[in-house]
Amino acid sequence: MGFVLSKLLSLFGEREARILVLGLDNAGKTTILYRLQVGEVVSTIPTIGFNVETVTYKNIKFQVWDLGGQTSIRPYWRCYFPNTQAVIYVVDSTDHERLATTKQEFHSILEEDELKDAVLLVYANKQDLPGALSETEVAEGLGLHTIKTRQYAIFKTSAIKGEGLFEGLEWLSGVLKTKTW
Amino acid sequence: MSGNDSRFFTTTKKGEIAEFKDELRSLDKTKQCDAVKKVIAAMTVGKDVSMLFPDVVNCMQTSNLELKKLVYLYLINYAKSQPELAIMAVNTFVKDSQDPNPLIRALAVRTMGCIRVERITEYLCDPLMKCMRDDDPYVRKTAAICVAKLFDINPELVEDRGFLDGLKELLGDSNPMVVANAVASLMEISSRSPKAGVFAISPQVLFKLLSALNECTEWGQVFILDALASYNSRDSREAESIVERVAPRLSHANCAIVLSAVKVLMKQLDLITSPDMQASLCKKMAPPLVTLLSTEPEMQYVALRNIALIVQKRPEILQHEVKVFFCKYNDPTYVKMEKLEIIIALVNDRNVDQVLLELKEYATEVDVDFVRKAVRCIGRCAVMLERAAQKCIAVLLELISTKVNYVTQEAVVVIMHIFRRYPNRYESVIADLCDNLDTLDEPDAKAAMIWIIGEYASRIDNAEELLESFLETFPEEPPNVQLQLLTATVKLFLKKPTEGPQNMIQLVLSNATQETDNPDLRDRAFVYWRLLSTDPEAAKEVVLAEKPVISDDARSIEASLLNELLSNMGTLASVYHKPPESFVSRARYPVSSGTGSVAVDYGAMSGPESSSGGLVGDLLGGDVTPATAPAGNAAPPTDLMGDLMGLDVGAPAAVAAAPPMATPSGADMLGDLLGGGAPAAPAAPAAPLDPFDLLGGGGAPVGGAAGGAPPPALPLPVLLPAARGNGMEISGAVKSLNGQVVYELSVSNQGAQPIDGVMIQLNKSFFGLAPTSPAVTLTPSPVPPGGMARGSAPLAINSAMVVPPGTAPSVSLQVAVKHNGSAGQVYYFTDSLSLDALFAADGRLEKNAFLDLWRGIPDSQEQSTRVQAVIPTGDALIAKLEARSVFFLARRPADNGMEAFYFCGKLISHHGYVLLELSLREGVPGIKVCVRSQASEVSPLALQCVEKLLLA
Repeated sequence: MGFVLSKLLSLFGEREARILVLGLDNAGKTTILYRLQVGEVVSTIPTIGFNVETVTYKNIKFQVWDLGGQTSIRPYWRCYFPNTQAVIYVVDSTDHERLATTKQEFHSILEEDELKDAVLLVYANKQDLPGALSETEVAEGLGLHTIKTRQYAIFKTSAIKGEGLFEGLEWLSGVLKTKTW
Repeated sequence: MSGNDSRFFTTTKKGEIAEFKDELRSLDKTKQCDAVKKVIAAMTVGKDVSMLFPDVVNCMQTSNLELKKLVYLYLINYAKSQPELAIMAVNTFVKDSQDPNPLIRALAVRTMGCIRVERITEYLCDPLMKCMRDDDPYVRKTAAICVAKLFDINPELVEDRGFLDGLKELLGDSNPMVVANAVASLMEISSRSPKAGVFAISPQVLFKLLSALNECTEWGQVFILDALASYNSRDSREAESIVERVAPRLSHANCAIVLSAVKVLMKQLDLITSPDMQASLCKKMAPPLVTLLSTEPEMQYVALRNIALIVQKRPEILQHEVKVFFCKYNDPTYVKMEKLEIIIALVNDRNVDQVLLELKEYATEVDVDFVRKAVRCIGRCAVMLERAAQKCIAVLLELISTKVNYVTQEAVVVIMHIFRRYPNRYESVIADLCDNLDTLDEPDAKAAMIWIIGEYASRIDNAEELLESFLETFPEEPPNVQLQLLTATVKLFLKKPTEGPQNMIQLVLSNATQETDNPDLRDRAFVYWRLLSTDPEAAKEVVLAEKPVISDDARSIEASLLNELLSNMGTLASVYHKPPESFVSRARYPVSSGTGSVAVDYGAMSGPESSSGGLVGDLLGGDVTPATAPAGNAAPPTDLMGDLMGLDVGAPAAVAAAPPMATPSGADMLGDLLGGGAPAAPAAPAAPLDPFDLLGGGGAPVGGAAGGAPPPALPLPVLLPAARGNGMEISGAVKSLNGQVVYELSVSNQGAQPIDGVMIQLNKSFFGLAPTSPAVTLTPSPVPPGGMARGSAPLAINSAMVVPPGTAPSVSLQVAVKHNGSAGQVYYFTDSLSLDALFAADGRLEKNAFLDLWRGIPDSQEQSTRVQAVIPTGDALIAKLEARSVFFLARRPADNGMEAFYFCGKLISHHGYVLLELSLREGVPGIKVCVRSQASEVSPLALQCVEKLLLA
């Protein structure tokens, strides 16, 4: 019965996608997740582990995994890589010092074999704060231009104000609809 | 293997685990839930599914309570095997502990407490603290227990984060279940905490506990009652008010509550001054105790063991209830035996007739052990109650006349005890006993009968004949019978110094001195012989001295122990009749087999022991019956062993009871007797360093190649992690400093107390290294909390510390460390030394001496290895080795463009010189190392050492 129903749903165009939200600690991943899901800003504490929520947008059911960004947790990101259709990489645009670190983490993700088909969406977050780098500067800092083989986009966002998040998701759903999996 | 066979290694089957993995990753919730169920099922039947850990943890965030519970179950099981990945679960726990559903909050907190992974405990403190203040009592009560679990993992965390205060707050909670759990948690913590006063009940707390008592669940009541039992009332009035509140619990249906309530009452009873109140309380306690006997046999047994303690302290409670303890025909033996004990404890002049009738009945049953015990009990009645003695004798005679063999034998032993209690009063029965002489075949009965014959030799006309009949088999008799025969013959001779006994005594003495290997028997025979040949009058006074009267103390427990056992009523301690610390070890880290065995060394539970009244009088008079020494837990002050020890040091009691010993020859003999016959006194006096004796640690891992020893200049390797050293972390290595071998140590104090007085000791090792003084000088000392200190302990070769020859050569060391604050606890660890620490500074040899030595060692003892190291120049090599007191002698070109270098080193131990030949080509990897040692067994160690130096 469940099987028949899911077939029917997919006929109606509802699809599911598994998405990882990654980035250094204090980038705003958890805030983004709950802004997307419940539409409001929740107070968060550092995520030691993960959060998972389902966000439905434009007929696509996104299963969004928000993984903790602490140095001690980053090694376990790889446990979540299989079957991932898209990665949302969140950068704290005000954190100038760790731009190099976040670039390094970003590129190590790019090299993962299990993520070679995943679509990349970069959020240059915390645009509401003074001293935030622009999206071009962030793109520069991450070395986005070196990516040749996959689809990616960068959006400037503010999770607190809720700006830019759904634009990114809009782009993502557009890309994912063209893909078959 | 041909190429085709490779197909056996590739398979298209993915296996169960891969299947589980796929299903766990499924987006379909029902499929996922089923998959987790399958995993749990596999886990339950013992399959290892720990590799699915990340996938199962990913299912954790779900609104499906069933799925969540299953994942938690999995976590509890496997978190320990995947400690790193367990951290991924933390966020979910934190979220769940804030879930709107109190069941989920409590579930999260409970599971957190069960995951014993050090790394994640600190993340759990905040959620736990929140849950302790939760609105829902179910969550609060779960959190209270969780604190005790946390304490077990990390006591410091509990103290630092103020969880103890939180628990104490919970004592005043409005919900009685929360109060009960807080009490249970605090009790658990205070029993484990080294600090005193973690949980002291104040009068305010007392009031809260008493008011919670009536309302909480039965097990909650047990917790509270147990806590109340540790409260010391300030005065009689307070004790009365406690009693008033607790007494209604006696009528509860749960036996544990009844026992705990009795425990509280027994304690408060001591403080109540009003006799009326005491009497009425005693009256109240009887019916619930009696009710306990209508339960299943196993519970009856527990109740009986506890009642045995109660009646010893306050027989008045059950003095009218002896009938309740009469055995039913279908009681199991262990219950019957226990009931007999209590009957004996309750017997008095008023009920003795009834009891004797009952015991007589028991003596006709079929269960041999029970019958024997019943007969013994009759004897104990006689010993205890003078007025009933005559009746008891009559019953015993009646039993003897049944001619049932084991009854007769037991009765003979019992009658001997009665004679010991009431000398010269009931000799008339001897004739009846003598009729049954032939049927006696057990050593105890025989010994008892012989004692009676010897003691009353003057009243028994045919004593001589009777003894003679035993003498025929003298060499084959067991030791206790032999001893009794010896003494009885001497007594007979002293009482009837005629020809017959004289012949007998000569036969016995020669037999006992020349043809026996038993030192007890031989020495006693010598004592008698010399007594008789020097001064027969003195002999008479010694052997026929008046003996002290015995009393029945077979089961009496010393008052302080009794009080301790009573305060542990309802626990295993009150069933074993042993203090808890004798069979429960609270040590968190089993350190070595030596200390580990201490706790269990108390031996098996001694069964119902024979009711031999004290044998002390016998011993002093010269009769020893070692086989019937009252062994076991009660350890009355007149214990046989204790008296032997007393004799050993010449206690006045021994001298007073044997005045003739004061004559010079007598004293001499006493010395003789003690010299030869005293049971092995503790051989060597305890050395001051006794706690360091590591002999018990023989099972510690030995071996481990030279890999463990560190190169110098690097920080010292950690030998004892802080977690094992109660906050003391020790790093160290054995090094050679200016020709002196030292143990370089660094102590880091991660505990709360300063550390000083650090002492170190090494177990026997292959090289026999030992500290010249156990004290380690540390700077700074004491080491402040959070601080660190360095120091060193000089070591020297001590031939007494060398392991016996034949042990495999090894560089491993077993080390013990203690300090003033460790409260006698000794920390053990193993280390391995680097052989180069043992090379002497004066080890340089002349070339000729080297050649002589080299040639003197046969080629067959040469050992060699190849080391993949690169030496840039020969000079670098020389400098490297000379720095370690391995001295360079010569270099010469060898075959294939190689160059040979010769070195020597002298070990400071008795192993002498180690000679080396290194063949290498400068700048090219690959060195051939040959070793010849004066003591060939060190060659492998030398090879390892050189290899390490070259690679460093």
